[in-house]
Amino acid sequence: MLQNYFKIAIRNLVRNKVYSAINIAGLALGVASCILIFLYVQDELSYESNFSKADRIVRVVGEVNFEGQQDNFAVTPLPLENEVRKFAGIQTVTQLSKLNKQTIWYNNQAFSEDNLLIADSSFFTVFDYKFIVGDPATALDAPNTIALSEELAIKFFGNAEQALGKVLKFSNDSYKVTGVFRNEKHSHLDPSGLVSNMSVRNRLSPVELKNLWFNLNYYTYILLPGEAQKSGIQQQLDNLTTKTINPWLKENRLNAQMRFLVQPLKDIHFDSRYAHGLAPTGNMAYVYIFSAVAVFLLLIASINYMNLATARSAKRAKEVGLRKVVGADRTQLVSQFLGESLLLTILAMLLALALVEVLLPSFNTLTGKYFTSGLFLQWEFMLLLLAIILLVGVVAGSYPAFFLSRFKPADVLKSDKMPRSGSAILRQALVVVQFSISLIMIIGTIVVFAQMRFLKNSDLGFKKEQILVIDVPYGDSTLVKRLPVIKQKLLQNPNVVQLSNSHSIPSESLNRTLMLVEQDGKMVEKTIDIMAVDYDFIPLMGIEMQAGRNFSKDFKSDVDGGFIINEAAAKWLGWKDPIGKKVNTGDTTLVGRNAKIIGVVKDFHVQSLHSEVKPLALELRPESPGYLLARIAPENQEATIRFVEEQWKQFDQKHPMEYFFMDEFFDRQYKAEEKMLTVFGYFAGLTILIACLGLFGLASFTAEQRTKEIGIRKVLGSSTGNIVLLLSKDFAILVVIAIILASPVAWYGMNKWLQDFAYRTDLSWWIFALAGTAALIIALLTVSFQAVKAATTDPVKAIRTE
Amino acid sequence: MNKEELIIETRQLEKKYVTDTVETTALAGVDLRINRGEFVAIMGPSGCGKSTLLNILGLLDSPSGGSLKFLGQEIGNSSERQRAKLRKQNLGFVFQSFNLIDELTVEENIGLPLAYLGVSKAETERRVQEAMERMGIAHRRSHFPQQLSGGQQQRAAIARAVVSDPKLILADEPTGNLDSVHGREVMALLSELNERGTTVVMVTHSPSDAEYAHRIVNLFDGQIVTENINSRKHAAELL
Repeated sequence: MLQNYFKIAIRNLVRNKVYSAINIAGLALGVASCILIFLYVQDELSYESNFSKADRIVRVVGEVNFEGQQDNFAVTPLPLENEVRKFAGIQTVTQLSKLNKQTIWYNNQAFSEDNLLIADSSFFTVFDYKFIVGDPATALDAPNTIALSEELAIKFFGNAEQALGKVLKFSNDSYKVTGVFRNEKHSHLDPSGLVSNMSVRNRLSPVELKNLWFNLNYYTYILLPGEAQKSGIQQQLDNLTTKTINPWLKENRLNAQMRFLVQPLKDIHFDSRYAHGLAPTGNMAYVYIFSAVAVFLLLIASINYMNLATARSAKRAKEVGLRKVVGADRTQLVSQFLGESLLLTILAMLLALALVEVLLPSFNTLTGKYFTSGLFLQWEFMLLLLAIILLVGVVAGSYPAFFLSRFKPADVLKSDKMPRSGSAILRQALVVVQFSISLIMIIGTIVVFAQMRFLKNSDLGFKKEQILVIDVPYGDSTLVKRLPVIKQKLLQNPNVVQLSNSHSIPSESLNRTLMLVEQDGKMVEKTIDIMAVDYDFIPLMGIEMQAGRNFSKDFKSDVDGGFIINEAAAKWLGWKDPIGKKVNTGDTTLVGRNAKIIGVVKDFHVQSLHSEVKPLALELRPESPGYLLARIAPENQEATIRFVEEQWKQFDQKHPMEYFFMDEFFDRQYKAEEKMLTVFGYFAGLTILIACLGLFGLASFTAEQRTKEIGIRKVLGSSTGNIVLLLSKDFAILVVIAIILASPVAWYGMNKWLQDFAYRTDLSWWIFALAGTAALIIALLTVSFQAVKAATTDPVKAIRTE
Repeated sequence: MNKEELIIETRQLEKKYVTDTVETTALAGVDLRINRGEFVAIMGPSGCGKSTLLNILGLLDSPSGGSLKFLGQEIGNSSERQRAKLRKQNLGFVFQSFNLIDELTVEENIGLPLAYLGVSKAETERRVQEAMERMGIAHRRSHFPQQLSGGQQQRAAIARAVVSDPKLILADEPTGNLDSVHGREVMALLSELNERGTTVVMVTHSPSDAEYAHRIVNLFDGQIVTENINSRKHAAELL
């Protein structure tokens, strides 16, 4: 019997090529997208899971309330490690910190690395990185040792084994390679190397160790004996803050309160609350959005199958009747038709796998992930395939199966009494569902696009274009001292318009500093973001002054005693006339002791437009490492860059010159949105494509069914245009209904998405009009192809078909 | 006709079709008894209820009222599943429009009833072969229906109807789509089946086809108006 079903199914597929092609292609596209999205979602959800103790590892994060302002930090104070070590119910604790970007040297080779962490061997007890060479238990025990990631080892030495025992140089010191571990991309930690902290820790006295509770620079991880101990740790952390830390803060006259919380390792990837994390966090919203898109795509493809199968049901009616006559009961027929849809799904699945294989490299580029077809062999993946086959096969197949198996033989076996082809209303409703989904995707794409344009074209308060940014490495004071000379040389080229150096640039996270500021005649403590710049920064960036003046060489006191703030800071501090207000950084080693406000700049966006402009202070440091900014003329840009490189080489043979453009760097903050735009665009295209495939099939079916009507109308004098209109009208109405249904849903969803931005574009009516018109045109083009074909058929032929 | 065993017995059989506005009576109290081994022809003008009656007798449709006994068992209100079971074990059908499945070959079409009966593969092959030989279409076994003439298609359909060795064959205008030569051929085959013991009930317009039957039932407006014994057929059999 099975063989018989199989034969019928295959012969039906072969005989109805267009129908089969539409179904299989649509399903394959749907399934392929679904697989890709599954890979992405699974990858996002599996962060940290490669560490065998992942479920027992927690990170300590801090809530710091300072001057009534609460901040959440991923970083914790240095002394915390020693205190936590005394806790009951922990297995071990490890602390790491991030090393500034370094230029690492081996012989004459140099690479710039900003992913180095400082830790001790207990790090590898907690995080079991796989070592290719070396012993994780002792790798970081000695001072001046480093364990390299496989990628970095290969970069320097070609392979991991070669690296062992070699000596690397950076930050004026030598470090011996004691091990090479495999990279672990699925983690918020993906260090290119781990430097032994023995070199750092030994320099601190016990007194100093105790007095660093307000210095948040260290990441603290605890390994628990079991998952159950989390609550006990929280209790002990709370005790520590109430008994030791908060009293210490009070004693040191800091108007601050701290609280430390336990965060499970596996939560880190999606928890974006904590600032200064080691890696950008993932976005759970995108995981949901993409999962929904996957389900939608499958749904649309399944609807195609249902619609076309029921539309064609008249053709299968005779078979159903006959099988019943010779003794088939309904169960047997239902299983036959379900079997057919399963077969079709399996065929689509095979095609989808081939598609995925082909698309994988581009998908990797798009998502920045590293999927290989080796994934196909994982059992989770097999399970997914099986689930899709069963779900689509059964869901899409069940309606046609139950519908078809319901035919009564007495009705269908008489040639003059053809059954109706299923409920037209249901088919129309399903088409409306398909187009609503497509429209939501199209509207979403347009909104994301409009917002991206808005972000990129918004006035940031500074001119980000044409600024070349050159890295000035830390830890090279001679280079910093030479900066004035370098500047002079560079300015000899007329295309180098202006130069400035600064410690940080927009889109980087800034240091926050404690300051004493004058309020109502008293000095009160405040923390504020601070940016160290030189005399030329404000004019070069094109930032406008709102009051007062820029830093000037004419005022010697500017170097140690001048601050410029932005409008947001003035407002925040409640200063109507900020010029001349007293400020004090409190730290005698830094500039700004007994300083004054000398100017106010108009607000400019240091951070992306996701957030509002925050209070900011600019301090003057004419020579600081960080960046050299060059505003260059748009003409002969490449030649100018080459010139800058040549000059740079003469002053700095130690570091390769690294540069980038400020606008590109700034816009990188919208990378997630940009990715979303691309992915959304692709999937919107796919949904409309699959929906149109179905529409095409349905239109051809309708045209076929109405052949006689068309023939009669033509005999009675109807024009081709009239016929096309007649056939297209019904479908156009469905699309219009879809527009009406989809618009509010899309509006709600995209409005929510836009809430992520402090500055956003309007959801104006034209977005919906554009999407609706586009969908309508695409649908009409699809339908009219069939309509024109039907309308231009010889009417005699049409009537004779009966 | 030695022992009179009832295959089908109906009493006051009724069938009404109800649409939104109209109620049509197709059968209005039909009393009919068919014995084992009989060849009965049902005749009457278009719309008199012939096909409706045949469909109900063939358990393809259910009556609206009255009683229907099949082999002594009341089945007027039985479930579709039950009727499907009775159909596949006891009934064979022949249609005017042949109703072969286009996607299956002659051989596969004929074997279909056996597949639903769960007959083994070897046994199926044997019985299909036998049926094809009896109907003279063995040489067309791997052709698809569209590749055959009307006569050949109807012979294949008859082969399918008899392959499961049914007690009763129901034929709905079996010669309606055939020319006279092929029509006679088909009637001869049905007659031969009947002579070998299979009961045949046939709906027909054609008086010459009706000549093959033992008994002719005339239907008008859903009621039996006359029942004639075909004396010529009886005479022939007595010879």
